[in-house]
Amino acid sequence: MPANPELRQQVEEVLRDNRVLLFMKGTPEMPRCGFSMRVVGVLEQMGTEYGAIDVLPILDPLREVTGEIADWRTFPQLYVNGDLVGGCDIVEEMAESGELAELLGVEQPAAAGAQAQPEATPNPQQSPPLQVDGT
Amino acid sequence: MIAEALPGAEVEVVDETGGGDHLRAIVRASQFEGRSRIDQHRMVRAAVQERMDDGSIHALSIQTKPL
Repeated sequence: MPANPELRQQVEEVLRDNRVLLFMKGTPEMPRCGFSMRVVGVLEQMGTEYGAIDVLPILDPLREVTGEIADWRTFPQLYVNGDLVGGCDIVEEMAESGELAELLGVEQPAAAGAQAQPEATPNPQQSPPLQVDGT
Repeated sequence: MIAEALPGAEVEVVDETGGGDHLRAIVRASQFEGRSRIDQHRMVRAAVQERMDDGSIHALSIQTKPL
């Protein structure tokens, strides 16, 4: 099934507007999936600003879109500069190796793998929910 | 399946729950050289796509390394 063109356009716009964008299940404040929660943990540790999109309300149409634009259909998905970096496995590996900090242009956190300090936690920019007409 | 798609690859598959459908694959392949991690994962996933589609693998976590 081809992706909904309007949704695809919305996704492309939100990717242009957010240098670091996470498609996740739930929200950074209330993740609804352990893998999404782990990626949020990594991003908070990096201290980078990021946008977050809750995929749950539009899961299937969004799968079609990310399948088309990035050949990837499972969530979470982290994008940097519009390119898919990966899901939980890749993000955690890259956080550990220092590649993620380099990609994000931040200092590698001293305690990679440990819990982020609350005071170092930026406010995630909650992007407006994506919508498809008729749903 | 993975070794067929990526000749010469070293593949280790761990059954994480004992049920055979939640798997972890650790793959080392010379074909990964110079590819991004997401590309490496795409290559492994493409090799097992059939099993994902028919539901015999429900979850696959992938670790890749150049050989």
